[in-house]
Parts: sequence; C-alpha cells; structure tokens
Amino acid sequence: MCEDRGSSVNPFAAHQQILRERLHFFLCTLHPAVYADVVRAFEDELKILHQVNQDIYTPQNIRSSGVWSLLPLLVAQHVAPEIDPTYASSVALAVESFVTAIDLLDDIEDEDHTEIVHELGTARVINTAAILFTLAQQALLSLSDIGIPPTTILRLLQTLQESSLVVSTGQHLDIVVENRPTHEFTGEECIEIAATKSGALLRLACLMGAQCAGASDELCAKYAEFGELLGIAAQLDNDCNDLYYLLYSQGWALSSEEIVRTSNMMKSDLVRGKKTLPIVLAAEEIAKTQGASTANMQDALQQAATLSDTENEAYMRAFREGIITAWGICLLYRERASERLQELEAQKPFTPLLHLLVGV
Amino acid sequence: MEEQLIQEFVHRVSTDEKLCEELKNDPDGVIMREGFSPRVAQVVSRLVPHLAFDKPIDPSLNFWH
Repeated sequence: MCEDRGSSVNPFAAHQQILRERLHFFLCTLHPAVYADVVRAFEDELKILHQVNQDIYTPQNIRSSGVWSLLPLLVAQHVAPEIDPTYASSVALAVESFVTAIDLLDDIEDEDHTEIVHELGTARVINTAAILFTLAQQALLSLSDIGIPPTTILRLLQTLQESSLVVSTGQHLDIVVENRPTHEFTGEECIEIAATKSGALLRLACLMGAQCAGASDELCAKYAEFGELLGIAAQLDNDCNDLYYLLYSQGWALSSEEIVRTSNMMKSDLVRGKKTLPIVLAAEEIAKTQGASTANMQDALQQAATLSDTENEAYMRAFREGIITAWGICLLYRERASERLQELEAQKPFTPLLHLLVGV
Repeated sequence: MEEQLIQEFVHRVSTDEKLCEELKNDPDGVIMREGFSPRVAQVVSRLVPHLAFDKPIDPSLNFWH
C-alpha cells in the first residue's frame, strides 16, 4: 500500500522494538515447549517477530514485521500523543495475537500447506492458536497492572470479543459456501464475506487503537469504518492477484494434479471452491454465455484443456472480465477508505509514519 | 450502486469492440460521457490500461495478508 520505493532505513524500527519488548514480557511466563511454538507463529510473514534483511529495507519488508500491532499502536499515538507506550503496545499486541491466531486457524481450515503447518503439524498449530487467543485477552487484562480503569479494559475486551465473533462467523460462512454452486453466488455476498474477514480484522486494529487512546465514540466509529474499507480492499486485491497469477503465470489449461500442486504453492481459492469476487463474477459471465452447468470453476479449468480455441477464449474472457471488475471494486473501496481518511485528517493530519503504514 | 456501474462498464468494454477502441483513443471523453460520479470516474480511469490495452493488473499489494 505504500508507494515509497526509495527508503533504506526502517522507519518503524523504534515502534517494532517497543512491541517486541512488550511481547517478550507476555511470553516469558509460557512453558518452554509452548513458548517455542508461539514464537514461531509470531515469526511468520507480516508478524512482529518476522525477520527481514536489516540492511535493505524495501516497502515490502518494511511492512513485513508487525503491521497488525503497528497499526493500533500508531493510531493510539496519533489520537493521544502522550499515551503510555506500555498501555498502547499491550493493546496493540492483543490485536497482533488475535490476528495471528485467526491466521493459524485459517491455514488449517483451508488446508493450506504453509510452512508453520508443515513444521509444527496440525494439532500443535491448533493448540498454538488457542494459546494466542488467550494471550490476546491476557494482554488486555494486564492493563489493570498499569492502572488502566476496569471500565476501559472491559470495553476493549468487549471490542475484541465482538470482532472475534464476526471473524469466526465470516470464516464459517466461507467454509459453508464452498459447496454452493458458484453461479448461484452474488458479488454482494462475496463483499459481505470480505467485510467479515480482512475487513473485520483491520476494523478491529483501527478501532482498538482509537478506543485505548480515549477517542470519542464518533471518532472511534470513523476509524473503524476506515479500517473496514481498507480491509475489504486488501481482501479483494489479494483475491484478484491469486486468480490472476493462477491463470496467467501458471498457465491456463491445468490438469487436476497441476491445480493441486499450484494450490499448495499459492493457496488457490479456485481449487477449494472459495467464492471470491473475481471467481463469482467470472462464473456469472460463464453461466450467461455457456450455460449454468459449466459454471463450476474447477470444472471450467479442467474442461478448458479439451475445449476448442473459441470456447477456451470465452472462458478466458470471462475470467479476465471477472478479475478486472473485482480489481475495479477493490479500487472503489480504496477510494472510499481514502475519503474516510480525509475526514479523519480534517480533524488532525496523520503523521507521515501512519500514512506510510496505511498507504492511502 | 457503484459496484454495479463498474461491473456493467467493464462488461460493455469487454464485449463491444467499438467502445473499447473509443476508450483507447479518448478515455476522458468516454468517462465524461458515461456521467460517472467522481469516485467511479477515478476508478474507471485506473482500469483503462487494463481494459483497453490488456495491461496486466498491478502486483498484489500483499500488505495485510
């Protein structure tokens, strides 16, 4: 999301250090066997302990460490510059732990062959996710030790619980709809699912940052909406690129074995029957032009190898149209997020660091 | 609904060679004629290279995933 391509110094280093120190405070009470697996989870890409080349900071690896805790921390410091760093970083790490847990469960539920699943195995990954959920709550409960009022702690816990329910429901829906024919699905439903997944997580990160800094309800609502729009845009961007690279980089006419192999490498939603927006829009078009019976996307990929050039072209056109439309809708959500940002900045301009982080 | 407007416009450009050609030659004119809101016009103008010139979509931002 960041457009700065010339940076050679990590501008987030100081904040990442604060977060890591606080994280180690929370982790030091864990049993050694548990500690190793939890640390491993935080070392995954984008997480706070992810190691990047310290000498070369590109926009990609700047963003690679702890974005989920940097966002609430920077929002909190933006709303209340004098906020106690221990307080803000504890809240930020509650978000980081929660998102890390959700990501682990997502890997298991989607049967993604990620490195951590390969290293720890399914059972340990599930248990690590359970520990991370507990750590998220512990991070908030620990606020009583630094004098944060119980009402504030309860409010933050409530926000976390509400978000947990939304995200879990979204993930559940995502699994349930795998067996529904793609052409019966609507674009609106896809966006609703995106809102309950990445949308809800980014909403949580922004909202928790604003809430812990004592922002008014009105301001909290604006931050929450900004985060949700940004999250939906990020989810759609991800879905478009997954499908784009599956079709164009890996080749069009894939055998079922190749599809599975490709999915192992790039988490293909197409193979699992996920109802992402570009897939659903392509199915809608294929159903119109080729008939509903061919609108199962996995079948469409496999059939493509045996189709005539003309028929194959029709499928390709439908997929291309689905990807470009979905990417356009992704840009629409970024525009909406940008407008919310302008409203927030009308009260107080974002710091360059926060701008760099959200990339809007 | 803005999402619907984008979907319909992409479909029309994908299936109407004349409109696609027009978009190549005069994107601003086409966007103005369609009467889009500033927000949708902004999005459509970003889509023009992909719609009219087959430019690949931008690499994933890969930020929050």
